Amino acid sequence: MTSLLSVQGVTKRFGGLVAVADVTFDIAPGELVGLIGPNGSGKTTLLNIMSGNLSGDEGTIRLDGEPCTGLKPQRLARRGLMRMFQLTRIFPRMNVLDNLLVSGRALGLAADEAKVRANGLLEELQIAHVRHLDAGQLSGGQMKLLEFGCCFMRTPRLALLDEPFAAIHPTMKEIMSRFIRARHAEGQAFVLVSHDMPVIVELCPRSICMNAGRVLSDGKTSDVLTAPAVIDAYLGGAAA
Amino acid sequence: MSGDIRLRREFIATSLLLLVLALLPLAMRDVYWLGVLVVSAYFAILASSWNLLAGFTGQFSLAPAAFAMIGAYGAALSAAYYNVPPLIGLLIGTVSAGLIGLVLGRIVMRLRGPYLALTTLSFAEIVRLVASNSINITRGDLGLPLEPWFNDRVIWFYVFLSALTFVICGLYLLLRSQAGLFLEAIRDDEIAAARSGVRIVFWKTAAFAISSAAAGFAGALYAYFASLVTPELGLVQQTGLVVSMTVIGGMGSLIGPVVGAFLVYVTSEWLRDVGGWQLVIFAALVIVFARLFRAGLWGLVITALAPRRKLA
Amino acid sequence: MLSGALAADLAVNGLVTGLFYGLMAIGLALIFGVLRIVNFAHGEFYMVGAYAYTIIAARLGVPLFVALPSAFLFGAALGWVVERTLMRPLYANIGSWGLMRDEYAVIVTFGLSLLLVNLVDKAIGPYAFRAPALVSASRVVVGPALMSGQKVAAAVVTLAALALIALFLRFSYWGRAVRAVSQNRLGASLAGIDATAVSSLVFALAGGLAALAGALLSPIINASPDVGAFPAIKSYVIVVLGGMGSIPGAFVASLLLGLVESFGAVLVSYQYRDTFGLVLLILFLLFRPQGLFGERGREV
Repeated sequence: MTSLLSVQGVTKRFGGLVAVADVTFDIAPGELVGLIGPNGSGKTTLLNIMSGNLSGDEGTIRLDGEPCTGLKPQRLARRGLMRMFQLTRIFPRMNVLDNLLVSGRALGLAADEAKVRANGLLEELQIAHVRHLDAGQLSGGQMKLLEFGCCFMRTPRLALLDEPFAAIHPTMKEIMSRFIRARHAEGQAFVLVSHDMPVIVELCPRSICMNAGRVLSDGKTSDVLTAPAVIDAYLGGAAA
Repeated sequence: MSGDIRLRREFIATSLLLLVLALLPLAMRDVYWLGVLVVSAYFAILASSWNLLAGFTGQFSLAPAAFAMIGAYGAALSAAYYNVPPLIGLLIGTVSAGLIGLVLGRIVMRLRGPYLALTTLSFAEIVRLVASNSINITRGDLGLPLEPWFNDRVIWFYVFLSALTFVICGLYLLLRSQAGLFLEAIRDDEIAAARSGVRIVFWKTAAFAISSAAAGFAGALYAYFASLVTPELGLVQQTGLVVSMTVIGGMGSLIGPVVGAFLVYVTSEWLRDVGGWQLVIFAALVIVFARLFRAGLWGLVITALAPRRKLA
Repeated sequence: MLSGALAADLAVNGLVTGLFYGLMAIGLALIFGVLRIVNFAHGEFYMVGAYAYTIIAARLGVPLFVALPSAFLFGAALGWVVERTLMRPLYANIGSWGLMRDEYAVIVTFGLSLLLVNLVDKAIGPYAFRAPALVSASRVVVGPALMSGQKVAAAVVTLAALALIALFLRFSYWGRAVRAVSQNRLGASLAGIDATAVSSLVFALAGGLAALAGALLSPIINASPDVGAFPAIKSYVIVVLGGMGSIPGAFVASLLLGLVESFGAVLVSYQYRDTFGLVLLILFLLFRPQGLFGERGREV
């Protein structure tokens, strides 16, 4: 077993709606995988199940070969699965530095180590100048960068990023994608959900496309984006 | 301003305040006013313990007075039925409040906002009604008498001041450790805290248990001071006082509840001669502070003292 | 075991008590529905109504059919003022807040409760005083039960008021607006409903209804500064049992609580009768937060 994360037959229903239907895929260590699909295709629901924020109805998930289906988010985080939410989640009444320290300390870093690490991330993400402001006072883009930083306080096994580039300034987008590229080069694994196709093409060697809760296509990004089923899904499902 | 530095500044300010209080008996040995200060210190412990829960963890409990009452009955019942000495009684009161807080905290883990407020309020009322109606055991509203520990008001004053100092130091040590970070993170966003790996159940329950134990400790100590324990200790109005003191002094700061408790209680005794409008004034102040100055008096002081910085 | 006569007596008394609870609880449910907060000063609206009725009817010698509506209007005005002055920050952006929304609501309504209790205590006095009777009949036979005339008269007015409220919520424009905002504040605003005006309206209605309850019961339970604490706690229980924010739920739960208490006091324990409802409240919030009939609300 060389797979880092293995998703087997995961299904989730909301009443009559099947949000995620029998999804199966594997992610190898160091892979950077794009997760794409039209709105409502089940990407965020799948991510919620993977990060433990939602429990699936069927299927199993393994991290490093160990079963981790249904574990709480905090357990998964300590096992190296970090999640960035689509709607930014930070600690608004704590300052920027303390926001990062929460992750660092909770994931087992010593106080000094966490501080060094946090300051490094603040520099790298170019938000060091606001480190003593309360996080609630930051701009939307700065909040995204901060939440992004929280995921890397201790090098994760796998980072799940849900629309990190949505609605932020291009320079901040650049900071983040440079960060992702650099970490990927060092062997960091990512799952990246985005609607921004140029970014997916640029960053992700492999992509998974979902529609109506199912995996439509999984493979090389260029192949996935040209697959007829994927084009149909995006253009409005003529396949019937 | 880093959270670390902010907390240290509040701790230093609280220590200075406690030091000034400790010197008071040199100038003033009036029995009545020493009693007022003792009760103020009792409320300061209650308010500080409630602040740990409401101000730092975001768990808005309406049961602090109930836990003080539990602590008081823990001491009084063990003294009445088993004749235990005061120090043991104190321990029993503190531990029983802490254990009940542990269980309640675990049970209400998932409840937030109005749901948590309603549940804790109901719990408080149930405990009080049980105490007041279990006449065979507690003598109901007549109250349980206790042998006073000692009679000298000056000694009592220092006992309460030491207890308050002990609680403040404990809170300071707790909050400046990683626990402080985790509790505030839970207060601000529980889901984000879980993502960061914070053990939500453990820390929330721990905060509830510690806060309840501190309230129980204050209640048990007060039982020996007043040498009578009645269900009135657990009245919702008592919780109202604790909330008022914390909000007026400054919620979410170490010093706020202490300042609030002494200020509100001492001035209300002072104003008693002016016709007893003090409670009206303080209730109005609570609303004004919650509406306009959310950081309380301490927040106003900080704003007034802060050097005017140029906008970067 | 219960004899048939006693059971019937308990049932009628329980139902009547339940009606009074309903008058209190429906306002609380309306407020929760529209603003998602619990008004911890609800008992004080009741208290204010009791005083308003007592003073207007006794001191001014005004007839009943003027004094009762006056008490309602007085409570409504108070509710309206409270909403305008204190509840507005609840709709503002909360990101910049030192206190979060829920905490603000608890503190402010709790503070308001303390303020009104103490204000009345100082301005009018801590002693209880009795309101003039609603009717002169002291005993009336209602079906199988014998009841005090006051209670029967109050129950009749309560039924009428509840029917009016139901018609208002069902058929009038503003009634529909209230229901729309309860279901989806943002959606209702987008549809052109003035959600802020609805909030004011709901607070005024809730204040008025609670005050009317206080006025109606003041000949039975004397007005005193803390007279509202007891009915307030009952209405918290009811709102939780009925499903927070549900009006029909609150009404049914009111009657149920009335019955549970009336039978429980005889069958289970008279001593601890006031704790039944509170225990139910905790159990429901923990295990069935949607109440007796409601569906579980979607999170997020």
